Amino acid sequence: MVTEKGEVTAKDTRSIVPLQRFIRGYGLILILVAMTLIFTAIQPAYLGLDNMIGILYQVSLIGTMAVCSTFVIMTGGIDLSVGPIVAMAGLYTVFTLTDNGQLLIPGLFVGLLTGLVCGLLNGIAVALFRLPAIIVTLASMSIFRGVALLTGGSSVHQINGPPSFLFIGSGQIAGLPFPIFIFAGVALLMLFLQTQTRFGLNVFAVGENEEAARLCGLPVIRTRLLVYIISGVGAALGGIMLSSQVSTAWSTYGGGIELDVIAAIVLGGTSLNGGSGSVHRTVIGALLIGGMNNGMSMLNIRLEQQLIAKGLIIILAIVFNDKLLKWAEK
Amino acid sequence: MSNNIVLLKATKLSKQYGPVLALDHADMELRAGQVHALVGSNGAGKSTFVKILTGAIAPDSGEMLINGSPVSGDTKAMLDAGIACIYQDSQLVPALSVLDNIMLGRQPTRRFGFLDRKTQRAMVMALLAKHDLQLDLDSPVLALPPVQQKEVEIAKALSLNARIILMDEPTAALSHAEVEKLFRSIRRLREQGVAILYISHMLDEIFEIADQVTVIRDGKVRLAVPIAEISKKTLIETMLGQELAAESRATHDQSQSTAEIALECRGLSKIGLFENIDLQVHRGEIVCLTGLVGAKRSELVRALFGVDPADRGEIYVYGKLVKIRHPLDAIKLGMGFVPEDRRRDGLFMNLSVGWNIIMAHLSSVTRLGLLSQGAIQTVGNAQVTDLGIVPARLDVAPRTLSGGNQQKVLLGRWLTGDTQIIILDEPTVGIDVGTKANIYGLLHRLAAANKAVLIVSSDIEEVLTVADRVVVMAQGRITGNFDHTQVSQELILRAASGEVL
Repeated sequence: MVTEKGEVTAKDTRSIVPLQRFIRGYGLILILVAMTLIFTAIQPAYLGLDNMIGILYQVSLIGTMAVCSTFVIMTGGIDLSVGPIVAMAGLYTVFTLTDNGQLLIPGLFVGLLTGLVCGLLNGIAVALFRLPAIIVTLASMSIFRGVALLTGGSSVHQINGPPSFLFIGSGQIAGLPFPIFIFAGVALLMLFLQTQTRFGLNVFAVGENEEAARLCGLPVIRTRLLVYIISGVGAALGGIMLSSQVSTAWSTYGGGIELDVIAAIVLGGTSLNGGSGSVHRTVIGALLIGGMNNGMSMLNIRLEQQLIAKGLIIILAIVFNDKLLKWAEK
Repeated sequence: MSNNIVLLKATKLSKQYGPVLALDHADMELRAGQVHALVGSNGAGKSTFVKILTGAIAPDSGEMLINGSPVSGDTKAMLDAGIACIYQDSQLVPALSVLDNIMLGRQPTRRFGFLDRKTQRAMVMALLAKHDLQLDLDSPVLALPPVQQKEVEIAKALSLNARIILMDEPTAALSHAEVEKLFRSIRRLREQGVAILYISHMLDEIFEIADQVTVIRDGKVRLAVPIAEISKKTLIETMLGQELAAESRATHDQSQSTAEIALECRGLSKIGLFENIDLQVHRGEIVCLTGLVGAKRSELVRALFGVDPADRGEIYVYGKLVKIRHPLDAIKLGMGFVPEDRRRDGLFMNLSVGWNIIMAHLSSVTRLGLLSQGAIQTVGNAQVTDLGIVPARLDVAPRTLSGGNQQKVLLGRWLTGDTQIIILDEPTVGIDVGTKANIYGLLHRLAAANKAVLIVSSDIEEVLTVADRVVVMAQGRITGNFDHTQVSQELILRAASGEVL
């Protein structure tokens, strides 16, 4: 950490703040705009309305999960177990639909409950038993995947309705795919929690300085439990969206998805050390990744090259944003 | 030895930051074999002066001569010219050995860049022998007590052939006994003709170790005299200026301390820490809990506030038996706690000052379950103005504030709600004399407003200044309980060393 010493005069602080704040707030947006301009210059169709909607549709799954996992990372934790939760939630929703005469609500309830229980288990291990989040969720990633395979078998489960369920992943409202509304709604809800409620402030406080939070009488354990539950429920929602989109449930769904989720959060500038970050930045992070994937596909870049380019761009974007901030702080 | 040769001569150094003249035509002479103390409140210009000497910033005007030849340039140039600085925060790598830390980045190598450990060891041993320092070369730095870590930094400075060593608050992390040990090292350096610039808020230490003192206030050198020619009172008044000096002598009407008991514990015990503690704090009373390091005073107040609850015993608030198992319980009973280590346990360094102030009383700014930005602004602004926090803003991070202002933010946190009982653990450690005066004034105001104040303090002078009643602890027990009219330094010291009075 920085060992900042010395006496900052009133003048110093005042002149630093606005620029720093501008870059903190808009540095990422500048990168997003730059990327859009570059892709558009090469391939004007990139900026077309259809393609923009396409990008939003493509990022809605990862984006929904990422905004729900942002609080975990803001508290200095991490949730690696979201992948198998996607699979489990999809499977159990489909099982419930089949068992209950295709009634939508019980299916959704069981699916989301799956995420809640998984998140609660992670939360108990991290918050109550004070185990390192990375180890807990690495282990639970394996356990949850095992449970998914055990209960779902190795075969793909076809979904036969109801139409209301299939609407979740492939329906449209006013020409916009429904997952975009889910992403927007969840992001707004999380942003509301973060900025308007005591829970949101608790998340910042616990991530920034847990001992100080405790001395302020803040509910540290409850906050930690809640962030893992939200992350689990977000993953379950992702699982429901995915299964609805492809009309199938499978115990291997969501493999490796945790990396994309974490990449979106970190690219948004949320520090893995906790304390800083924001839901709206995760949204931008997800859009950056989605835009990048889409743009490169449009330019007919081969998948293997895309992967390499994606990794490099993520690193460059983070370095650039970091340098910009440092420069602004000078 | 080479006493009294002027090693460093700085003339008319000035540095301007925007409209603020941080340093205004400051002169200073550092002589070989002298310990030169530099004192002043936070913001007086000490840091600027030090930064110029280390080359971290360049002065706008003025010049510096080392051994008669002008020097200027960056940190590397200043190091080459023989100026080394030992900062308040350790610059060592904790996991590396003493040997590697001293030579870090300059280890002698053999062919192909392999480390030449034998030569390195011989060089360091010769250096330590020359300066009569005793250090276990193979111990990792993190295993050393704080005073030896300072000695490692001194050795590191000497290995760079430094003739001028700046020490910024070198005793901040040291216990009483360790300070003595450090002073022995400093005296040895002095005998060997090293010039030392000693920067500290601890005036007692300055009178003990320094030969010469320079006082800076508002960027100007106000006084530069041999230490023998100045009294402590004059020194403080020169540092503070008239107005603040008066505030630090403020008191409240102490007759009120016969009032109702606000906080009381009976038979409070925690295995291995403290035993059978009976303590009372009345409304309108300032009680100082003092003693030597290791007397378990912090542990006691942490138990009272529910941070680390006690095993046995009872706590009463306004005569009512209460259970305090968590800080939240204490806060609900109207208690507040300012911990000893404000950076580690108190502040959210990167969140805003406004949030830091409101964090313990979120319910007071919650409307219909939502945080009210307006209420946060109102509450926060009131504290920032009332406490004179500089800069007077809610949207800066405490990370950027000076130690004194950080402490004010923490105090503001507890003045926000309906706090009736406030516990402060070493509230003025590492804080400049000016802010100290502010804080004493504030504590008296709190007591005058009928609040109960319990202070843990190791600073005898502070205890004698602010306390209505002094409770002394030694090895987890209470060994003395004195009214301010009967207390004396001698009584405190006798009780602190374990004598039951």
